[in-house]
Amino acid sequence: MKYIKSVIALTAICAAISLLLALTNSITAPIIEKNASAAANEALLVVYPDGGDFTQIDLTGKELPATVTDAYSASNGGYVIKLLTSGYGANMVLMCGIDGAGTVTGATCLSSSETLGYEKTYGDTLKGKTTADIDAVETISGATMTTSGYKNAVKDALNATIILGGGSVDIRSEEEILNDNLSEALPQAEGKFVSWFMAESLENVTAVYEAENGAGYVLVSGEEFIAVDKSGAVLSEVADDVKATMEANAQLIINSSLTEVDISGYSDMPSQVKKVYKTASGNYVFELGANGFGINGDHYYNPSGKQIEIKASATKDGKIIAVLTTAQYESENIGDACAKESFYSQFNGKTEADYSDIEAISGATITTNGYKTAISKVFEAVKILEGVA
Amino acid sequence: MKKTNYWKILITGLLKENPVFVLILGTCPTLAMSNSVTSAVGMGLAATAVLICSNAVISLLRKVIPDAVRIPCYIVVIAGFVTLVEMFIHAYLPELYKSLGVFLALITVNCIILGRAEMFAGKNTVGKSILDGIGMGLGFTLALFLMAVVREVLGAGTFAGIEIPFMIDHKIEFLVKAPGGLMVYGLLIAFVNVITKGKAIKKKEFNCAGCPSAGVCNGGCKANEVKEGE
Repeated sequence: MKYIKSVIALTAICAAISLLLALTNSITAPIIEKNASAAANEALLVVYPDGGDFTQIDLTGKELPATVTDAYSASNGGYVIKLLTSGYGANMVLMCGIDGAGTVTGATCLSSSETLGYEKTYGDTLKGKTTADIDAVETISGATMTTSGYKNAVKDALNATIILGGGSVDIRSEEEILNDNLSEALPQAEGKFVSWFMAESLENVTAVYEAENGAGYVLVSGEEFIAVDKSGAVLSEVADDVKATMEANAQLIINSSLTEVDISGYSDMPSQVKKVYKTASGNYVFELGANGFGINGDHYYNPSGKQIEIKASATKDGKIIAVLTTAQYESENIGDACAKESFYSQFNGKTEADYSDIEAISGATITTNGYKTAISKVFEAVKILEGVA
Repeated sequence: MKKTNYWKILITGLLKENPVFVLILGTCPTLAMSNSVTSAVGMGLAATAVLICSNAVISLLRKVIPDAVRIPCYIVVIAGFVTLVEMFIHAYLPELYKSLGVFLALITVNCIILGRAEMFAGKNTVGKSILDGIGMGLGFTLALFLMAVVREVLGAGTFAGIEIPFMIDHKIEFLVKAPGGLMVYGLLIAFVNVITKGKAIKKKEFNCAGCPSAGVCNGGCKANEVKEGE
C-alpha cells in the first residue's frame, strides 16, 4: 500500500508537470521557430542586403550545377545560393547572393578547411560581377586552388539562377565538355578516349587523345580538335598548312614505339630514375620515383612510405615534353594535389635553364620539392644517356 | 507558537544565510556565470524564478508526497520549472539563452534549489516558502552580481558589455578566467565573514536537524562539533 501511494504520487506529479510543459511548449515553440528562421534570414541578408524575406526553393528535379546545395529566392526577385565546392581542401561551403539582374551582391565562406585564409575575403572581389565578367576576376597567386574553386562555384551560382529563372546554361563539367568535343571530332571512337602520353615533341599540339577502339587520334591544337584516323590521315576540315603539320604529328604518334634502355650500366644515373625508354625519334621517356611527403614526411603524420610515381618525356636536347603523375600516396587534400594536371603541366616545355620558376604548392612543400627534384634529374639523365655529361 | 517574522525569512537569504557566500551552495553556476554582469543577473533571475515556483509547489504538495519518493518528486518539479523557464527564455530572450548555454538546463541540479526544497519548502507553509524562494533567489542573484561586477569591471574593463574608459586599457584578464573567479569568490566569502563577524550562521543551526543526510547518518558525522568561523 505504501509503495502504491509513492507510485501514484510520483506518476501524478510527472503527469502534471508534463502537461504544464506541453502547454508552455505550445506557446513558445512557434516563437522559437520564428526566431530561428529570422536568424537564418539574417545570415542570408549578409550576402544579399536588399533581399528582404527569403523562401527556400525546392531543388528536387532541377538540373543545377553539382556545387549548388540550397537555393533561396528573395522577395525582390533575386536569389541566395548555397554552394559546396572544394578549393585546396575539400568541403568549402559558400553562400552567394545574386540579384534579379544576375549580378553578384555578395559572397561569403561559411566553412572551409583551406590553409591560407584567402577564402575569407575573396568573395568581396566577386561583388558586382555577372556571368559575362566573372571569368576576368583574377585568382590569387599562391592560393590558386582556393580562389579558383571559389570563383567557379560563384559562377555555378550565377548559372543556377539563370536556370531557376527559366533559362538554360551549359552546366557540363570540364570532362564532359572535353569528351563532347572529342566525340564531335572523331565520332567513330564512340565517345571513349584515353589520354595519350606525349612521348614525342609535337608541333602546335597541347594534348593527344587516343580512341579506345583504335579508330584514331584527336590532336588538340589551341581551341581546335583535329581528328586523324589510324593511318594518320587528317579527318577534320582544316587549312592545308595545318593539315600538313598535323599529318606529320600523326606519323610521329603512330610510329612512336618505346624501347627500354638498360640503365644498369650507367653508374652515375640518379636514383630517382627507375626506367628509361627511347622513342623512335630519339626522345626519352622516364619513369621516375620522387621522394615526397610519403618518404620524407614527419613520422608523426604516418607518411605512406611510398614514392610518387611520375612519367616524364624529354627531347634529346634536354627539353621536357610532358609530365604525368601516374601514382601518388601523399596526404589527402594536401600533397595529393601533385596528381592534378594544373600542377604537373607546369613542367611542360621546361629546360634546365628556366626550371626554377615552377610554383610550389603552398602547404605541401615536401611533396613539391621532392617532385621538382625528381623532374630535375631528367636533365641530368638525358645528358648521361646522350653522353654529354 | 512564536509569531512568524515574514520579513526575516525574506532577508535571511540576502546576507545572513546567503546561499553562495554563507551556505556555499551553487558554486558551479556561480563561477561559470559570474564573468559578465548580464549573464550573472540573467542566471540569478532564472534561478530565482525556478526557486520560487518549485518552493511553492513543493510546499503545497509537502503533505501529499510520500517521504520515500520525495527527492525524485522534488527533482521532477524542479526540472519541470527549469524546462519551462528555459523555453520562455529561449522564446523571448534568445541572446540571454545563448549566453547562459548549458548552465540554464543545469539549474535543475543547482543545489540551492534542491537544498531549499529539502530544508525549507518541505517543512513550511506555501507563503513562507515563496518568501524563502524570493529571499534565497535574490541572495543568489546578488552574490552573482557582486562577483560579476568585480570580475567584469576589473577583468574585462566593461560593465554589462559597456566599455568603461580607463578600465578597458587596464584589464586584469586573469579575473575572467576560472582561477580568477575562484579567487574573487574566496575574497568575497572572507569579506562577508568580516562584516558578519563570522556569525552569519549560528552554531546551533549546524546540527543534525538541519542536515539533509541526518536520516542515514545518525549523527555519525559529529556535525555538532563543527565550529563555524574558527
